[in-house]
Amino acid sequence: MKATNRIFNFFTFLMAIVPAVALISIFVFVFQESLPLWKFSGLSFFTTYLWNPGFQYQQPIIVHGILAPPGAQFGLDLFLLGTLSTSALAILIAFPISFLITLNVELYLPARIKKFMVSMIELFAGIPSVVYGLWGIIVLEPILFRNVEPWMAQHLSFIPGLKGEIYSGAGLIASGIILSFMIIPIVTSVIVNSFDSVPKEVKEGLFSLGATKWEVGKYLTTRYSRASTVGGTLLGLGRALGETMAVLMVSGAVTNILPTSFYSATNTMSAAIASLLDSALTDSTRMDLAALAALGVVLMAISLTVSLIGRKIAGRGSLRGYEGD
Amino acid sequence: MTSSYTGNRREIQWKKIGSRKLKDTIAKGLSYVVLGMMVVILVSIFIYILDSGASHITLTMLITPGNTATGGILNAIVGTWELVGMGLLFSLPPSVLGALYVVNGRSNGTLSLVARLFTDVLTSVPSIVIGLFAFIVLVQRLDMGYSLIAGGLALAVMMLPYLMRIIEISFRNIPKEQIENAYALGADDIRVASRIYLPQAKVGMLSGILLAVSIAAGETAQLLYSAGWNNNYATGFTHSGVGYLTYVVWNGINYPTTYSHYLAFVSAMILILSVTGLIAISKYIGRRQ
Repeated sequence: MKATNRIFNFFTFLMAIVPAVALISIFVFVFQESLPLWKFSGLSFFTTYLWNPGFQYQQPIIVHGILAPPGAQFGLDLFLLGTLSTSALAILIAFPISFLITLNVELYLPARIKKFMVSMIELFAGIPSVVYGLWGIIVLEPILFRNVEPWMAQHLSFIPGLKGEIYSGAGLIASGIILSFMIIPIVTSVIVNSFDSVPKEVKEGLFSLGATKWEVGKYLTTRYSRASTVGGTLLGLGRALGETMAVLMVSGAVTNILPTSFYSATNTMSAAIASLLDSALTDSTRMDLAALAALGVVLMAISLTVSLIGRKIAGRGSLRGYEGD
Repeated sequence: MTSSYTGNRREIQWKKIGSRKLKDTIAKGLSYVVLGMMVVILVSIFIYILDSGASHITLTMLITPGNTATGGILNAIVGTWELVGMGLLFSLPPSVLGALYVVNGRSNGTLSLVARLFTDVLTSVPSIVIGLFAFIVLVQRLDMGYSLIAGGLALAVMMLPYLMRIIEISFRNIPKEQIENAYALGADDIRVASRIYLPQAKVGMLSGILLAVSIAAGETAQLLYSAGWNNNYATGFTHSGVGYLTYVVWNGINYPTTYSHYLAFVSAMILILSVTGLIAISKYIGRRQ
């Protein structure tokens, strides 16, 4: 009896570390696949934006001891810039919206429809990524191209980056908007949860001192539970960094052309992996695949770091920031 | 003298309160506008997808397989549920057993914490990286080809952390006394798991499973290079690609014919209906618990 129990416990332990094994093996195998690229490109992978698979129908040549198609050159700058800029724009749009939604459902909206509204906002997270992409292509891009971007170019051209040619609706602005829809439910639910966990006495104390609802809301989210607010936003950022399909569909998916303004087409690391892997498979030297794996390694490193920091900050609890102030 | 001073102070206070009230009113108005705007956007996305799907749907689409440009999407509908089912098959047993380990009072505390940390971190691995991993290891090195197993495993890696967390939470909702009583009566871990944890957490687990299924059904990036695609039904577990609805949406809208766009719209409608339907059922079950 005892032996079977011990075996059972050991078995549950093995199952509990499956996620850890999965995470480590994802990193190890993707990194291993990317090794030839690091030998081939070295640090130039980080210093150029050009991405060229080379001439795949010519005799492969040996560079730094590695077999590669002649003319091959790989750099992640364009994709990194796209990933960072689309995610930053998404956070810039999503944070104020999530903040105001939290204030509204917590303080202004009648309590009985609060739950309904929160689940409604959470539905944004339930819409599949490709459906956002579809909506982005058919509905959002034409609106941006015909109405919004021309207006911006005309009236806001004093802001750097908002002056320039309008090519199509696809690009940074469309990607940022779609990404913000995908992360608003995450950011909102973290801030709403931290707001709910504030002790009643604190809220009532603030009101009894004569604070208005706006002051209570501002104080609680930016001071009392600042940690959760920041942590939730970082979690949203982590999600935005790794999002693939919607961005692939509305970013314009360019390679080798740096954006000149906010209206330019762009590309992200995740979208580049999805769209370039198909053609990379024709490279008999596997260098192209190694380059995409290297993109995957960098992407994974960035988004795991952001999410870990977010979790760490949010995990410190809602009391932080209160004691200090 | 005194009275004019008081009057002055009152005036100042009144002004201060006025400007603070004004701020509050502005914040209130703005927050209603933003919330209303988001609701309008959400509803308009739903109406747009449902309307464009419903106006192009035909019976032929639903009962024939196709290649995202001609024919129907039955192979994609069947394939989506095959892949999700496969993902659940691979992810549910480790989730339940792993969650049992994490909640078990006798297991090593540090190890539980580390296991939970990795589970959390796994949720933030970008889906395309999971897809790339599945392609490199399963499709190429293990030579499965684009297949049901490779796609199912790729989905399982994504479903696993969600399932494990939700199941762990439903285990923790069980009254502690009940578990302690069972141990006090001499039950071992297997008996406590099978007689208390599993039956008591049944509803919470079901709600979690439905949620994980709804997330998996809408995924694309993991499947592109693990499940591949098939113009017909998958013929085996390995070396035979599988079709899925999200691929039809992506490929159909990029293919330059009206009919392929119709297929994309119809697939998007089916996806959005099944995903939100599953979320709604999951919430309904979870609330009743």
